[in-house]
Amino acid sequence: MTAVAAEPGRFASGGRGRSALLTSLLVLPTALWYGLLLVAPLAIIFVFSFGVRARNGGYAPAFVLDNYADLFNRPEPYINSLIMAGAGTIGCLLIGLPLAYFLATRAGKRKNLLILLLVIPFWTSFLIRTYAWLLIFNSDSGLDGILSELLGTRVKINGTPFAVFIGIVYGYLPLMVFPLYVTLERLDRTLVEASKDLGAGRWATFRQITLPMALPGLVTGSILVFIPMMGEYVIPAILGYGTYYMAGSALVSSFLEARNWPAGSARAVFLIVVMMVTIAFYLWFVNRGRKVRETSVL
Amino acid sequence: MSDRGLDWYLKQAANKPINRRGFLAMAGLTGGAAALAAACGPGGAGIGTSLWIYNWSDYIADANITEFKKRFGITDFRYDTYANNEELIAKLQAGASGYDIAAPTAEYTPGMVDDGFLEKLDLTKLPNVTKYIDEKFKGLWWDPTNEYQVPKDFGTTGIMYRGKLLDTPPASWQDFYDLTTGSESGKVVMVDSMGDVFVFPLKMLGKSLNSNEPADLEAAREILLDVAPHILALDSDLYQDKLASEEASMVLGWTGPLLGLQGEAATADAAYVVPSEGSLFWMDTWVMLKDAPHKEAAYKWLDFIQEPAIQAAETEFNYYATCNTEAKKLVPQEILDNPAVFPPDDVFAKLEGAEDTSGNNQRLEIWEEFKSKIGG
Repeated sequence: MTAVAAEPGRFASGGRGRSALLTSLLVLPTALWYGLLLVAPLAIIFVFSFGVRARNGGYAPAFVLDNYADLFNRPEPYINSLIMAGAGTIGCLLIGLPLAYFLATRAGKRKNLLILLLVIPFWTSFLIRTYAWLLIFNSDSGLDGILSELLGTRVKINGTPFAVFIGIVYGYLPLMVFPLYVTLERLDRTLVEASKDLGAGRWATFRQITLPMALPGLVTGSILVFIPMMGEYVIPAILGYGTYYMAGSALVSSFLEARNWPAGSARAVFLIVVMMVTIAFYLWFVNRGRKVRETSVL
Repeated sequence: MSDRGLDWYLKQAANKPINRRGFLAMAGLTGGAAALAAACGPGGAGIGTSLWIYNWSDYIADANITEFKKRFGITDFRYDTYANNEELIAKLQAGASGYDIAAPTAEYTPGMVDDGFLEKLDLTKLPNVTKYIDEKFKGLWWDPTNEYQVPKDFGTTGIMYRGKLLDTPPASWQDFYDLTTGSESGKVVMVDSMGDVFVFPLKMLGKSLNSNEPADLEAAREILLDVAPHILALDSDLYQDKLASEEASMVLGWTGPLLGLQGEAATADAAYVVPSEGSLFWMDTWVMLKDAPHKEAAYKWLDFIQEPAIQAAETEFNYYATCNTEAKKLVPQEILDNPAVFPPDDVFAKLEGAEDTSGNNQRLEIWEEFKSKIGG
């Protein structure tokens, strides 16, 4: 995602040894954290993915490709995850963009209060908030029940993929709103005014000025919500009643049911690959779109 | 195998302890119980002052922990928890765990012995175990010589249902199949546990629930795929709620939540049956770890917990059946008479202990195919 480029010159250049030392010292905790808690576990998973299941479960060292070959026997969990995470990202975008736009441009004095309201749910456990949706969709007194009464037919949301969709959009929405809000807030209003002065309508202004300017936030937000959605386990289990089989659940099957760590590791590696390919494609698509738009604006 | 019970944490105040297991519970609600190291009592008789136990959550009666600490002068009683057997085994595989005592499910103990994780017990230090453990729980396949584990408690896999929602309650796995594909379509829950779900088709076919015969498993597959579109949920944690709200009428599950449901007027019609073809019985076992730092205290614990009065208090606390004959005499009659807790002899005769079948690929493939076809 957004890499913070080190500002050249200030510390590093000029041969000032003390500053260089200071920089290294300051970077050290981050490097250790990153190395020990992110890179090393990933490396272990990668190594494990070529192993075999030990006699009594777990991992035994080996070098085989069986675990990867097996992946393609059961691709449903990945397909389901891709569909759900894709839909969830679009859902977050459709709700998040207008919300962020409103917060950044129209909220006025209430802005801080509204942002606070957006954050407050995060003070409660994720699990509890997900459970709350079970009650909201309760078939007696919840939305299901009310809709069933009004429509005269039985409406069932809990235990369907739609409930999973609502759950993940709700769960990850703030991760979409905040990056969008930050970019939209920094948007140069004079550009919007200029666009209007030059006769562009609202839609044209949005499409040619606001959207391209918001693009970095939009891309960051999309990736931030897409990644956890791909690996989601708890929401499909609680709201989906375990009936929508996603990649997170498949990982649990491998590790806790089959007690086969190498097979589970291969699945985890493959999940990372699927995400990286999807994100790479997404970035290529967005950049291509931007070039087209820039030329069209000119 | 079986992982049970997040809901427990949410309802701890309302219900008696229900589920000792829960995968979702790992998501942050677990808390080690008595880490309080109350300063009390005189120094122990050469057994040190520490005992470190690694166990399912809320699986020992608090009063018994207090009594043990007082009697033996244990000031550093540590009780840490795991949510499934895999978590325990993973910790042991990673090297010295530092714990003295653990409580794996029986079918995992042979593997743990094989890997050298368990201490061979000196039975002369455990007179209560020798005296009181029921003979029918000795010499079972997972520990033929009774040297590596002491039975903790046991339970069954069966069908829990709401009597008033069913015209004729299920008595067999065949009934369960007929109801699931018939009148109760869309109202049946199964626990999200491969070993337990396979009990249903295999026992319905009259096979061993531990069968790894390809033909048996293929026949089981067909039954599972038949019922898959009629299943409401795969859920190990919240099935009691679905029964309570009448969203579900039958659950292939465990006994744990039953007494909680029966205790409420609105759900007093909840019942549990071990199907007539037979079913699974699981047992949790006390084991001492090979590298236990406080072996003498651990021996004291293993013997202490089998004292009849102490053991009876355990059963009263967690509602799982004890394997201790003397303790059984002290358990309140209403618990003894509850067939869901203590299966009658004729039912027990048809129960089969689970084996560790997690390494069978065919089972896993069927299980995953089943999972992807649930709900139609």
